[in-house]
Amino acid sequence: MSQNEQFALPGFEDWEAAYNKQLPDGKTVRNRSGIEVKPMYTPADWDVEEYGDKLGFPGTAPFTRGIYPTMHRGRTWSQRQLIGLGIPSDYNKRLHRMLKAGTSAISMIPCNSIYRGLDADQIDPVLLGTCGTIINTVEDMETCLDGIPIDEISTALNDPLPFTMLAQVLAVAERRQIPWTKITGTANQSDYISHFVANHMFYRLALPGSRRVLMDHIEFAREKVPNWNPMSVVGQHMQQAGATPAEAMAFTLSTAIQNAEDCLSRGMELEDVLTRFTFFFDISVSFFEEVAKFRAGRRIWARIVRDRFGISSAKAQRFKFHGQTSGVDLTRQQPLNNIARVTAQAIAGIFGGLQSLHTDSFDEVLSTPTEDAARIAIATQNILREEAHLTDVIDPLGGSYYIERLTDQMEEEIVALIDKIDDLGGMYKAVESGWVQGKIGASAMAFQDRITHGDETIVGVNAYQVESEVELPVQPLDRPAPEDIEAFIENLADYKRRRDQSAVDRALDDLAEIANDNNRNTFEGVVNAARAGATQSETIAVMRAELGFGQPLVVA
Amino acid sequence: MTTAGLSEAGQRLVEKILEGQPAALSRAMTEVENETGHAAALLAAVQKATGRAVTIGITGPPGAGKSTLVNALIGEYRQAGKTVGVIAVDPSSPLSGGAILGDRIRMAEHSHDPGVFVRSFASRGHLGGLSRTAGRVIDLMDAAGWDIILIETVGAGQSEVEVADIAAIKLVVSAPGLGDDIQAIKAGILEIADILVVNKCDQPLAEQTKRSLKAMLKLKQSGSQDIPVLGTVATTSEGLAELVSEIALQDEKQRRGDNLVDRKPRIRRNLAEAVGQLAKDRLRQNQSADIDALIVALESGETDYLAAAEAVLDGGQTNREIAATRLEKKTGS
Amino acid sequence: MNSEANLTRPAKVLVTKIGLDGHDRGSRIVAAALRDAGLEVVYTAPWQEIPTVAKLAMEEDVDVIGVSSLATDHLLVPKLMKELHKAGLDYVKVIVGGIVPDNEEQDLLDAGVARVFHPGSDMADIVGTVQMLAGEAQNDTARQL
Ligand SMILES: Nc1nc2c(ncn2[C@@H]2O[C@H](COP(=O)(O)OP(=O)(O)OP(=O)(O)O)[C@@H](O)[C@H]2O)c(=O)[nH]1
Ligand SMILES: [Mg+2]
Repeated sequence: MSQNEQFALPGFEDWEAAYNKQLPDGKTVRNRSGIEVKPMYTPADWDVEEYGDKLGFPGTAPFTRGIYPTMHRGRTWSQRQLIGLGIPSDYNKRLHRMLKAGTSAISMIPCNSIYRGLDADQIDPVLLGTCGTIINTVEDMETCLDGIPIDEISTALNDPLPFTMLAQVLAVAERRQIPWTKITGTANQSDYISHFVANHMFYRLALPGSRRVLMDHIEFAREKVPNWNPMSVVGQHMQQAGATPAEAMAFTLSTAIQNAEDCLSRGMELEDVLTRFTFFFDISVSFFEEVAKFRAGRRIWARIVRDRFGISSAKAQRFKFHGQTSGVDLTRQQPLNNIARVTAQAIAGIFGGLQSLHTDSFDEVLSTPTEDAARIAIATQNILREEAHLTDVIDPLGGSYYIERLTDQMEEEIVALIDKIDDLGGMYKAVESGWVQGKIGASAMAFQDRITHGDETIVGVNAYQVESEVELPVQPLDRPAPEDIEAFIENLADYKRRRDQSAVDRALDDLAEIANDNNRNTFEGVVNAARAGATQSETIAVMRAELGFGQPLVVA
Repeated sequence: MTTAGLSEAGQRLVEKILEGQPAALSRAMTEVENETGHAAALLAAVQKATGRAVTIGITGPPGAGKSTLVNALIGEYRQAGKTVGVIAVDPSSPLSGGAILGDRIRMAEHSHDPGVFVRSFASRGHLGGLSRTAGRVIDLMDAAGWDIILIETVGAGQSEVEVADIAAIKLVVSAPGLGDDIQAIKAGILEIADILVVNKCDQPLAEQTKRSLKAMLKLKQSGSQDIPVLGTVATTSEGLAELVSEIALQDEKQRRGDNLVDRKPRIRRNLAEAVGQLAKDRLRQNQSADIDALIVALESGETDYLAAAEAVLDGGQTNREIAATRLEKKTGS
Repeated sequence: MNSEANLTRPAKVLVTKIGLDGHDRGSRIVAAALRDAGLEVVYTAPWQEIPTVAKLAMEEDVDVIGVSSLATDHLLVPKLMKELHKAGLDYVKVIVGGIVPDNEEQDLLDAGVARVFHPGSDMADIVGTVQMLAGEAQNDTARQL
């Protein structure tokens, strides 16, 4: 605020007087992170002298304006739509259709039963394949990837630890005689900390075991699958669970710090590992706040890598992130409005400088997205990129008095939270003690209160409700055919009969042994189990038995 | 009122409770918890069947691991073939009166086991770590034939001494790292312990916590030096075998010749609750001149509430006189 | 409180999640709102087995069960209704909150679910409905002595 005094802006006071006169009881506006937003910003809010230090140029530290010199002018973002439904052959068909339509990177979402570490013969069949693809064995993975050039295409796996899906992909590669060095992509759900904080769905192992298994995975990948990104730090779960944008960024960066420190304690070469760190964020509809969140996050991370870890390499300081438009902002009421929301969210992400983008389908709050709605979501990206010319200028909001001031303020918020977590002994401890969960829970509640009291407008929900909604064409629900599911379960039983059971037993026994020996790498054992024919559930069961089951830390 | 007969449905319910049908027990608990018109008669009807269960109270500061310890104890007793009933009390919100009852979350491992019955209660503004009717609810559970009854109090750390009356064996649970360790369990709570449990012994400062607890016990009167201090890790059941055998030892000490437990403290507490409730009900309804006179005396400051209450309880007829003498005595001394 | 709700004692509600999904932001917020309206809420971790939910409802003698479903776990609710019936708990009212496609909502109502709440539902409506249903459950003749 001292900046204000230094600056004499002719006419400012006249404007202020006029503003106050016309809007005598204009109320205080705060963004979702709690930062007060003024009605107008001027050069007094931003010190251009600090340009070099705070902004620099795209591709140079601190990367506020982007991590690459050419940004979206050179290469736009990857369009990574998450898909996964039904049985492996369904997935494979859809994948081929998408590749034909020009998708350049694939992703794979397994059925929720797999997140829970259960095979198809262990849960109620009515749930199977309703949220993702059922992939239990290497054979299932082979079917999923049939005819897909996995050595040419980047694959994102929603594969929580102990990373049975990657193990299956590696086994498939081996069968096809594709060297592991050609496998590229990202372990999207490697961030166990975010799962413990916000997303019970991915629980596999207790905290200490999770910590070790992630390190095993990173170490294994750096040695044997060098083009794989083993560490994706996920802020998305936390923001979905109710963290404010500033909190989500802070908790994500603290998680990244924790993981980097764990890599160091493991004796890994941090500079090398950090080049393989990626981030994954939610993009809410709070437009400017999101842009500022990403700009601030990039700058803070670069400084953390430089100052805390003493690494000067630009490659290690780059904050590469995938953004997903926030499903929490979407409404069931007047569902087509969601297309507008997704558009605003996507623009925020693009102006925020993302490397990869998933746009939600407008019907996501109604049911599992239909293919038509998914196509509109992709089209939204194409329109923004090519018709709206959003990519012509790098960091187009840079230099806006407001955006620069807000970036600074978000940075202050975020850094204060990171400091607090440092005081608590780091992210692992802060999560173990439940502090982070408490903070997120309180923010979720506060936001709900704002909606209830009308302080936050949600079109169609607490404002602009309509009597009769636009009739949507009735879409057939994408539920797998019961006979397909039945056949899948039968096939699994058959698979278990066909396989070399003694090889499976040996691999699982060996895995148990490895789990109890801190000098050996558990992921090695997981890969061997997949090769030998163990199902994902059998593999996870061994890990759970040896390393403990992941129970919710904070529930009520 | 206490001897009022039961309806046919009520009698059937009693039979089912005594047969050990959990749904019947649950229904009766609701009647007792809410002190409905049927509560007293239900309790009277099951009274003879009580006195067999081992009642174990578990108290200690918030987050010490009481619920987790209950979960581990359930595991031990189930393995030994005993059935286990649990009564878990959580605080009610002083603002809304509502409550989130979350203790049983930690006991989820046993939630499908028919040999385990967990019931959560909100404290409903009652102080002392329990709900007002906890003692009576235990009677029901006891009569229904549950071998072991575990009672988890509200975690407040200081004044949950009420559990001393209603549980035969009292565990006071503490854990390292709960702030100023020992400070967390002070004032009165140590005195009620039959066994002191230092939970979370997998954590660094556990030994230190144990040592300071022992030292603290030494400072107290000589009798309490015998109170055993046991370490546990509730999450892995470490130390549970020792805890269970210590509980068995205490239980044996307390059993009478007929192998029943002396329930007099629990009965005394239940009686006190009943007297209090009855007194309140009567006083609210009573339009007698004596009470009116007392009210006038209170209004004018002639007497005080304690004296007036004593006057009401000590005899109905001459309240005014009693009140007057009482006031004299007080001002005289 | 809600004058229409014919409560004879504090309403007791079980807030839970069945099936596979673990996203619990919604169920937490609803549980807190119910508490703040004076209800007594038994809260569970996600992934409850259906027989366990029935046993829990029996032990806690709840008036209402609220099931939160954000993925496809609502598909299991008809099975829960059967289980409650088997356990003699027909008087317990069940509501479902979350993402339920329109054409599957009817299946739930047909199975005996009292009400389905969709994302963006008014919290006051949820609380009021739960209180009203709890009143009905408390006064069910099957529960009178
Ligand atoms: N490390 C460790 N953690 C434990 C142990 N026992 C319990 N915990 C953890 O401590 C936390 C609190 O445990 P609870 O059992 O809920 O504690 P409580 O005393 O019942 O808490 P309130 O009912 O809220 O007063 C949970 O996260 C438990 O997992 C233990 O022996 N070791
Ligand atoms: Mg507890």
